[in-house]
This record gives sequence, structure tokens and C-alpha cells, in this order.
Amino acid sequence: MDTVIPKTSTVLAALLRADFTTQWRNRRSVILTLVVPVIILISWKGLVAIKGGAFALSNSITIGLIATGLMGYTNAIARDRDKGIFQRLRVAPVPTWTIMASRICVQLVMIILVTTAVFIAGNEYDKITLTPSGYAFTYFTAIIGGLVYLSLGQMVAGLITNPETVNSTTRLVYFIFIMVGMFGELGILGVQIHDLEHWSPYGTVKTILAGSMEPAKWTNDTSIALLLTVLYAGVFATIGIQRFKWNTNK
Amino acid sequence: MNDRQENILTVNGLSVSYGKFQAVQNVSFSVLKGEIFGLLGPNGAGKTSTLSALEGLLKPQSGSIVIDGYDAGEKPLYARASLGVQLQSTSFQPELFVIEVLELYAGIYGLTLTRNQILAILGEISLEDQAFKKFGQLSGGQQQRVSLVIATIHNPKLVLLDEPTTGLDPQSRRQLWERIEAIREKGHAVLLTTHSMEEAESVCDRIAIIDHGRVIAVDTPQALIDKHRADPEVISVSRRGKITLEDVFIALTGKTVRA
Ligand SMILES: Nc1ncnc2c1ncn2[C@@H]1O[C@H](COP(=O)(O)OP(=O)(O)O)[C@@H](O)[C@H]1O
Ligand SMILES: [Mg+2]
Repeated sequence: MDTVIPKTSTVLAALLRADFTTQWRNRRSVILTLVVPVIILISWKGLVAIKGGAFALSNSITIGLIATGLMGYTNAIARDRDKGIFQRLRVAPVPTWTIMASRICVQLVMIILVTTAVFIAGNEYDKITLTPSGYAFTYFTAIIGGLVYLSLGQMVAGLITNPETVNSTTRLVYFIFIMVGMFGELGILGVQIHDLEHWSPYGTVKTILAGSMEPAKWTNDTSIALLLTVLYAGVFATIGIQRFKWNTNK
Repeated sequence: MNDRQENILTVNGLSVSYGKFQAVQNVSFSVLKGEIFGLLGPNGAGKTSTLSALEGLLKPQSGSIVIDGYDAGEKPLYARASLGVQLQSTSFQPELFVIEVLELYAGIYGLTLTRNQILAILGEISLEDQAFKKFGQLSGGQQQRVSLVIATIHNPKLVLLDEPTTGLDPQSRRQLWERIEAIREKGHAVLLTTHSMEEAESVCDRIAIIDHGRVIAVDTPQALIDKHRADPEVISVSRRGKITLEDVFIALTGKTVRA
């Protein structure tokens, strides 16, 4: 009975190393996640003059956050669960939270990368610059916004077990967000869709991102959006964690 | 002899259910230190469900599990730290090289091994040259060797192997038996599941015959044969006048074919 439990730091280090290696081996899809928002930003060059730099940047960052959180993270955990990879990890003497914590760390790095890629592209192609505090504040809100889509993805993986169905569901949601997000915001789809979009998890994240880029323009509306964003994340995460099963019972 | 010192595993009155379906019913057995113990049963008997409860993958409906003195329900991490596990269908992250999978599991079991140490471990199972292949690119026998080496990487006191030789060719199967015996030589106990009589007779010191979620008999293979030699059912299923473990097994579990 001289049993020693591995130190949590050793366990986390091993998990992080494996998860970052996995992400690196999947670098093609990672690059795609970074490239799509940049392309959208560049193609919107004409809109920057009309709607402002913050509008363009916040839209692109939001799309990148959805791609990594809702699609990258969610499809990976759905697949690994289906293959029994989680079951093998769980029979080791590791607290289960470490398995997900490591995955989420990878996602935090992705959020930073997406945001940075959009910042650089905005600067290079559209000559958009923010104040230093604007940049710093935006990284912070990008993490909050990223957590919304991660928890939305967690909810999808909690409610649906089949990895193919998870995959098509996240693609569909991504597509709807992009369509309604881009065209609804411009008012092309009418006032009601505009309002719906504005208070949806797409719109609130966009609003807080734009607000943090120009802190002087932070309004009541932005504060409500921040509150809603946190609320969305909380609800999605609660459902997603409660309903999540570690195996698919095949 | 003190029971607590001799048993590495004590299972008492274990029941597991999936919804209303009782997969494991009131199962009791114990594994002694340094022995190879076999759970022998047909498909669907409840072997994997029993192991899943020991591994902490599912919560038993009732019963107690004590691993190396630790109650699996009360001290799950301590109980699991004494276990080495090979699941029935093992899968590792397909993006990782074999050496990286070993690094991951070494770390998860609290070991800090250098790349050279891990290469040496792979050398012991003659897979040094496969270190930078993906797990999925290995043959079935090689995959089995890798998951066995991962199951024993932290020198566990009890190794659980779920149908370790199913699907292997005879050569790989014999080689694996030798590796399992080598685990015992190091003083560790092994609990394996199998539906092969030959395997039960060849490598297990003691076996429990399990069917429909219940343990029917526990003993050494030879003692089971001797005990049931005179049973009319055993004699009626025996062929060519020789009583084998298989005859005893068929007589005890019935002739019905399982899915
Ligand atoms: N996740 C599950 N949900 C429902 N029934 C299950 C599940 N897993 C196993 N079973 C059932 O429990 C019984 C025992 O299964 P299992 O323990 O896998 O048997 P064995 O490993 O001996 O082949 C079988 O009838 C099987 O169909
Ligand atoms: Mg089984």
C-alpha cells in the first residue's frame, strides 16, 4: 500500500504535450481556420471605409473563433470519444478534468492565434491600427467570446454522440452563423433578422470585440452584450458538461 | 495468512447494470498476488463489464472492489494507480507516433522517462524501428505488444487484460502468453479475460467461469476438470472419452451459441 498518485502537474504536462502535438499534426486544418477570417477581412476592404475598422476586425475574429471552438474542438472530442481514446485515458490515475483542461489550453492558444492573425492582416491590408489598450482588451474579450463557442461545441458533443452527426451539425451551425451574421448585420435580411443576429451568440461576441477595440465607444448596449455572452457560455457549458458521456457505448 | 496481504484484488457481490439490464450479478472472486487469474466466459457473459467496474469506467450498482487495499469506490485514484490496463479495443490518438504515445502514458502514470529510455522499452518488444510510426500502421500483434507495454509501464501490481489474444495468429498468441508469464515472474498479478479454453488451461493459475453475469465456478483448471469429471452432463458432451476443460465449460454454460 505504498501507492503514489502521479502529480497533477506531470499528468497535465504529458497531456498538453500530446494534445499540442496532435494539433501540430493537424496543422492544415489549423491554417485553414486562420486563413478564412483573414480572407474575409481582405475581401471586405471596401466596407472598412464605410463601417469602420472595428466592424471588419470583430467580424473576422468571430468567424475564426467559431471555426476553432465549435468545429475544431468539438469534432476532435467527438472523434476521440468514439474511438475509445478517452476511455483509455480515464483508466489511468488522472483526475478527469485534466483531460479536458489540456484540450481547452490548446484552444486558448488557437484563440490567441486567430486574433493575432486578424490583427496582422488588418494592419497589413486595411491599415487598421488599434491603441495598445485596444489590442490588449480585445485579446481578453476574444477569450471570453471563444469560450462561448467552445461551450456551444461542448453542448453539441453532449447532446449528440455520433461523430458524423456532430460534424455535420457543427458545420451547419457555422454556416448559419456566417450567413446570418454577415448579411443580417448589414440589414440585408430585414430588421427582425438584424435584431436576432445582434443578440445571438454571434452578435454579442462581435459587439464585445468591437467594443473592446475602441473602449471609448463602449456603450450600455456593449455591456448588455457582454452579460449575454457570459450567460450563453454558462448555459451551454452547463448543459454540455452535464450531458457529456465519455464513451459512445458501441 | 492475512487475507489483506495475500489478495491484490477482492471483488465482493459486484453487480453492474445498463438501465434495467443486469450485465453482472453478485459476482465475487479474488486475485492473489503473483497469480494469473482468468475470467473465462462466452461472448456477452459480462467479462468486460466486470473489468470496467474495476477500472472505474462505470459505477457498480452494488458490491465492493478492493485493489491493493484501496476501496475503488472511496479511493479511485489510488486504486487505479495500482492497475495496469489493456482495454478490449484500445485506441490511441491516431496523430501520435508510437514513441509519443508511450511518452504520454509514461507521463500520465507519473514517470519522467527520456526518449532513450522509451526507445529501450520499445527495444524490449522488438519495436525500436517502429517508434516513429503511427499506432494504426502497426500489425495487430505489434499493436497488442505496444498496449501491453503501456499497461505495464508503471510496474503495476495488477494488470487487467481484456481478451488480449483474440484475433492474433498462433505465433503472436504464444509470444503474448510468454510476455504475460513474464509479468507474473516479476511478481505482478494478472487478471485476463478470455473465451479460449486453451488459453485458460495454458496460462491461468486459476479461473472463474462466468456466464450470464454470474460466476459459476472458481478454481484451478485441473481442479475444475477433476471436480466435474463424473458429472453426467460433462460426460455427455465429452468426445472420444477424454474430459477437457471445454467439456466442463460447455456442461456448465450450456450448448446455446452466443451472439
Ligand atoms: N453499454 C452497454 N449498454 C447496454 N448493454 C451493454 C453495454 N455493454 C455491454 N452490454 C451488455 O451486457 C452484457 C455483457 O457485456 P460484456 O461485459 O461486454 O460481455 P463480455 O465482455 O463477456 O463479452 C451483454 O449482454 C452486452 O450486450
Ligand atoms: Mg468483452
